[in-house]
Amino acid sequence: MIQFVFPLFGRFHPILVHLPIGILLFGIILVFLSRKGQNTHLASIRLAFLFGGMAGVLSSVSGFLQYRYEGFTWDSVQFHFFLGLATTATAFWLYYELGKKEDFPSFFKAKSAALVALLMFTGHLGGNITHGETYLIEPLPAGMQQLLGYETGENTGPKLPAEGWEELAYYEHVVQPILNQNCKSCHNAKNHKGELDLSSYEALLQGGEDGSILSGGDAEASALFARLVLPKEDEDHMPPKDKRQLQKEEIELIRAWIALGGKTESKLGEADISVETLEPFMEKTEAPFYPSAEVPPLADETLKKLKTDGFFAETVDKESAWLMVSCVNYGQFADADWTKLKPASDQIAYLDLSGTQVTDQILDSIQSLPNLTVLKLNETDISGEKLSALQSNPNLKNLYLNKTQVSLPQLKALQNHPNLAKVFVFDTPASADESGGVFSFLLEKGNYRLPPLPTDTIVY
Amino acid sequence: MKNLEKLLSELQVQKLQTQTRRHFLRDCVSKVGGLALAPLLFGCEIGKDGQAKTGLNLSERDLNPLAPLPPPFAGKAKSIIYLHMAGAPSQLELFDFKPELAKLHDQDCPESLLEGRKFAFIRGVPKMLGPQATFSQHGQSGAWVSDYLPHFSKVVDEVAFLKAMHTDQFNHGPAQLFMQTGSPRLGRPSLGSWVTYGLGTVNQNLPGFVVLTSGGKTPDAGKSVWGSGFLPSVYQGVQCRSKGDPVLYLEDPSGMSRDLKKNVISAINQANQEDFESIGDPEILARINQFEMAYRMQIEVPEVMNINDEPEYIHQLYGTQPGEESFANNCLLARKLVEKGVRVVQLYDWGWDTHGTDKDGSIDMGLRNKCRQIDRPMSALLLDLKQRGLLEDTLVVWGGEFGRTPMQENREGKVQGFKGRDHHTDAFTMWVAGGGVRKGASYGITDDFGFSGVDERTSVHDLHATLLHLMGFDHEKFTYDFQGRPFRLTDVEGELIRKIIA
Ligand code: HEC
Repeated sequence: MIQFVFPLFGRFHPILVHLPIGILLFGIILVFLSRKGQNTHLASIRLAFLFGGMAGVLSSVSGFLQYRYEGFTWDSVQFHFFLGLATTATAFWLYYELGKKEDFPSFFKAKSAALVALLMFTGHLGGNITHGETYLIEPLPAGMQQLLGYETGENTGPKLPAEGWEELAYYEHVVQPILNQNCKSCHNAKNHKGELDLSSYEALLQGGEDGSILSGGDAEASALFARLVLPKEDEDHMPPKDKRQLQKEEIELIRAWIALGGKTESKLGEADISVETLEPFMEKTEAPFYPSAEVPPLADETLKKLKTDGFFAETVDKESAWLMVSCVNYGQFADADWTKLKPASDQIAYLDLSGTQVTDQILDSIQSLPNLTVLKLNETDISGEKLSALQSNPNLKNLYLNKTQVSLPQLKALQNHPNLAKVFVFDTPASADESGGVFSFLLEKGNYRLPPLPTDTIVY
Repeated sequence: MKNLEKLLSELQVQKLQTQTRRHFLRDCVSKVGGLALAPLLFGCEIGKDGQAKTGLNLSERDLNPLAPLPPPFAGKAKSIIYLHMAGAPSQLELFDFKPELAKLHDQDCPESLLEGRKFAFIRGVPKMLGPQATFSQHGQSGAWVSDYLPHFSKVVDEVAFLKAMHTDQFNHGPAQLFMQTGSPRLGRPSLGSWVTYGLGTVNQNLPGFVVLTSGGKTPDAGKSVWGSGFLPSVYQGVQCRSKGDPVLYLEDPSGMSRDLKKNVISAINQANQEDFESIGDPEILARINQFEMAYRMQIEVPEVMNINDEPEYIHQLYGTQPGEESFANNCLLARKLVEKGVRVVQLYDWGWDTHGTDKDGSIDMGLRNKCRQIDRPMSALLLDLKQRGLLEDTLVVWGGEFGRTPMQENREGKVQGFKGRDHHTDAFTMWVAGGGVRKGASYGITDDFGFSGVDERTSVHDLHATLLHLMGFDHEKFTYDFQGRPFRLTDVEGELIRKIIA
């Protein structure tokens, strides 16, 4: 027979399997609809089991062909295959039993139920082969997945620490995670595309249908690397072009590993790679902007009260307890209104009192905000006299004093503040003061100009 | 108040007129049962303020669609100013320096560049067109900027360049839509709408998303580039003007005093409130809120849109002239709006479509004049935001909808009277600055002619993903259900451009 027929028929397996399921279920439903001693459906049921069994034969044959021609391992399909045969045999057996009598044989409903169980279980195993064993698990919430004993989020690519990466095993921490994320879905013990398994070093050494894919020390000669750098349109390019493509850093890391010898013992530090190549995979240990202390979130009632009082009040993000408060629509806010903010003292991390009626007194109140990180007092009557009070806000990072009366010497009171990083004093006596001085924080005075240029007025 | 009572009783009569015998009979049956059930279902009657007591469990958003919401994670940026150069400026005259292209000037374009390509106007084999500007490196970052942008070259250390941007649309309308809404077809919400929908707005007396245009025309794609698509229309951009009334129809009509207006609004609102109490539809409360907001905006919008009170040195910095419709005025307004808590400000400047068909559309003359109009204002905007500390949490984005060809345009196979370039999708430059952006970065490299990106190419979706990230959104999770499926700004694509994130 012409050679393509077998593989082609094999590929019809995913469609053909639905025939026995449908036909047999139809028969079984009729069985359960029938009362004892009443055999109106008997002929139809018999026919259903006969056709169901025949469809089972078609499914089994096509399934076997698909296994033969599509790179599945026997281990992964054997149970599915035997159960399929068992289902087919059971269907024929029930057909045979029905054929002998005018009424239902004994325990027929129980036998039919057993056939349903067989059908379901066979189908489930088949689904596992095509969609992966975690197909039905993936949509579940992470907590439930863990409860069922599944690991979550394992294929996320390399994760490296910012310090001490030099000592990590190159293969285990970089190469395998890249393969897991990008290749394993097609190249694993069960799904054997190109007869290649990339789920472990040992499997990788076995190579694929064209033999070894790794020749230590020579990246260009290794299919493992060479296929990655083929043009995307080339049909040998990996991963296939409709899949997530490797980043150029990931390709470079594979190259450098092969160049180093392609062994499991090598350390990351031995390779000839720049830190920039690794940077995208480093866990940013950058300190979070807002304090790391934990405080209880503000009660909904209190938050609502702040809003009805006229404040803009919102947490900095959905999970966080840190609160941003602004008086953008509350220009009348004055020192005496502080009591309204008191219930949120622990949570306020960002406070904008710009354009309000506050005076120097407010700094005494602000002192009581342990977690304050950003403070804006632009366009207020702050004279700068009491700035030293802010030394008691250990977490303060950015301070805005634009368009106030602060002077340069007064800012000395903030010298050596533990966290203060930036102070903005645009349009104040301080910004006009040329005397300079060294500060422990970045002082933004502004006054930027773009001097006129001769070309400004030329029109062509 | 006499008049109000009259209004309310009129409302009552109106309602009764629509009642028929059938309504009455039906109500007799259902309402008696309802009366018995109501306390069980809701626990209390509908209250005066429409909140809490309704038992409808209305969120703040139901009452006020612009109420602020926290972002999913604490983004570095809280607002965006997007400067869109409608018509698409030439990257080859501004940022993407190609000395090799100069050598090929006036030679036939190599076949390899034309194979399988389509251009908007170029036909046959065009000539190559060398860079028409003089380039030099600037700042600590050594960024290449041409002499077309002498002021901007002084602030390059504030920005991150994306030099291998690409798109897949070579006509203005679809390309602008793609750049602003993530889809070349009509119907998707714009970036600004997504952000306003996701975060609401800080200042409740101003719109959340403001659009300002200059250059004499609005973008080719029309107002859909700031439209809200399938999002509720409150999230669309509000077009304001730097000349004449800042917002059309916001001013009171002549003869209508503000007090009178207030009375009208409070009467309408009271009638609506009564309606809400009998019907319980939250849409009515939203409407009440909107009337009140419009009333508040009447005061605040003209105030913030007035640049007359800015000090002289600020006018000099931006090159502003009050009363004009200009990019400079719009830049200054953008700063003022963001300072006042507006979430998104979009500037469209028209006139960048330099085909070389006339002098204004020429690469060596018209383009220079256009650059003159934006060079100082956009540099001033960056400096002004910086000195006020606003650049800490404001994103500034600059770019067109695509780039321009390294070839001289030859419309209808003829050489043009002026030097010009055709639309080009494969490579162009954009820059971003401010909140969370890595200063002085440059991402993306194009080939020797500036024709295609050869490394670190960035798609429109990548840019959107990155902008959303900086605002505190995971672009893959920020969705809106419409027609039975969740939609994203980035559709099914988009990778973060990590190298430009600080
Ligand atoms: C979507 C499925 C898919 C993914 C993902 C995928 N591959 Fe493949 N791969 C194939 C198929 C199908 C073949 C066989 C056809 C061929 O030889 O091109 C193959 C063949 C290969 C071969 C040749 C094996 C041989 O000896 O013939 C190599 C090497 C390879 N892949 C490497 C990779 C690497 C490395 C990755 C990850 C970066 C990857 N593949 C990801 C589907 C995939």
